[in-house]
Amino acid sequence: MSHPPLAAACAAMLRRDLTLAWRRRGDIAMPVLYAIIVTTLFPFALGPEDALLQRIASGVVLVTVLLAMLLALDAMFRSDIEDGSLEQLMLAPQPLALMLGMKILAHWITTALPLIVIAPLLAGMLHLPATVMPVLVYALLLATPLLSLLGAVLVALTAGTRRSGMLLALMLLPLCVPVVIFAAGAVAAAQQGLPWLAPIAWLGAALVMALVLAPLACAAALRIALDA
Amino acid sequence: MTPFSWDRFLAMGGYAAYVWPAFAVFFLVLLADYLSPGLRRKRQLRELRARMARQRARNPRQTTTP
Amino acid sequence: MANWIPLWVHKLSSPPNFYRFAGIVRPWALGLALVLAAIGLYGGLVLAPADYQQGDAYRIIFIHVPCAWMSLFIYGLMAVASFISLVWRIKLAEVVAMESAPIGAAFTFITLVTGSLWGKPMWGTWWTWDARLTSELVLLFLYLGVIGLYHSFEDRRQGARAAAFLAIIGIINVPIVHFSVNWWNTLHQGSTVRILGPSRISSDMLWPLLTMMFATKCYYLASLFGRVRTDLLAMESGKDWVRQIAEQEARP
Repeated sequence: MSHPPLAAACAAMLRRDLTLAWRRRGDIAMPVLYAIIVTTLFPFALGPEDALLQRIASGVVLVTVLLAMLLALDAMFRSDIEDGSLEQLMLAPQPLALMLGMKILAHWITTALPLIVIAPLLAGMLHLPATVMPVLVYALLLATPLLSLLGAVLVALTAGTRRSGMLLALMLLPLCVPVVIFAAGAVAAAQQGLPWLAPIAWLGAALVMALVLAPLACAAALRIALDA
Repeated sequence: MTPFSWDRFLAMGGYAAYVWPAFAVFFLVLLADYLSPGLRRKRQLRELRARMARQRARNPRQTTTP
Repeated sequence: MANWIPLWVHKLSSPPNFYRFAGIVRPWALGLALVLAAIGLYGGLVLAPADYQQGDAYRIIFIHVPCAWMSLFIYGLMAVASFISLVWRIKLAEVVAMESAPIGAAFTFITLVTGSLWGKPMWGTWWTWDARLTSELVLLFLYLGVIGLYHSFEDRRQGARAAAFLAIIGIINVPIVHFSVNWWNTLHQGSTVRILGPSRISSDMLWPLLTMMFATKCYYLASLFGRVRTDLLAMESGKDWVRQIAEQEARP
């Protein structure tokens, strides 16, 4: 009975957020630009030696993508809190967790997806072998939504505060340590010709867990943070 | 067992440079942790007294709480 | 509130009662902590023989290991208090959770510093990316995140509840970090330092260690109660009993 309206609400939410993001296309380009700049600086700092760059390439790309996402994370709910639409959403009959899940999906599409698209380019700049490239993309495809979901919970917790940039990084660091380890581990294993499926599978398992739990936690956190 | 001597005790078998700083960190950090709420408490009570004095000055008949 | 909780718990959890109770317990807890620490350190530094492998440097264990235990114990206690404060909204549980965080961070910091002071002569390095060390560092960041989040809210109670939520997320995260760092270490085959492998510890070393463990527990109680008292005063500053205390302390 309530299925069609719920699906329609989800679609409307997603469409709204994507439209809003498209209206401000410049903001989408920012994390991508940031990632390119950071990656360009590494060879200058470490020297243009091929072997060295090849060894650090996957790690650098992963950390750069993570930092670029962190940069954009702060704005996930910012405008919705300012214009009050998030409070409307909390009062709406549709489950808040589901609606927030849609917002997280929209945020992932607008910030992480462009980063994944240019990641092979960044890795290529650092001479990552082409055979390893698919593993890097798989790892990013699983790691970035995980980061978006975990980050969304933390962003929701800081929603009621004003200065949250550095705090967000401090709070996210312990949570993203396992993600970075497994994502980088998969690429490193592939680079050494070892089986890389296990870490990817761990990432996938973590992603499934986070897909179920993180929107619920995000909704709970938002209710705490905006409960004035 | 050999009798106790202060020199040997302080030398820590040549590891004095590691052992004693570790104990110093332990005691200094915990001392700072123990004393900090006392300072905060003094400040809070001083501010509260100032607030009460202001209230009393505003309406002299009510000497205690509103 | 459920009626299986005895009445004295309710009475104790009211701020003025707890304030008085903490004021009575605090000096005793501190005194006990100092006595136990004196006994434990005498046993550890003077009576216990030097280790046959590590010489006298191993004596850092008598503060390092109790502090490491405390850093985990306090995090667990903070998470339990956080859970209680989120579910039943008990003011006292919020205060206990939030005032535990700085003490836990202090113990974690001591653990890291003493650990590296111990590591330098033993392994020849201040720091190694071992699973235990890394987990402890992550624990410090978790504590700092909780403290930072608590202080970034203007409303104390709201900040306490947000930070309590973060503390609960953190306790799920600690085992995951430990597991993943373990996995990472086996992949990289880096420094294979075994800290405190399964070794039999002699009773000469064990009893001072356990005494120090109780001393740090007592210290935690004393420090926590001091902090909770201060926080209760700040939280209830509009109430009569706090004003009376303020006036009493102004007189001498």
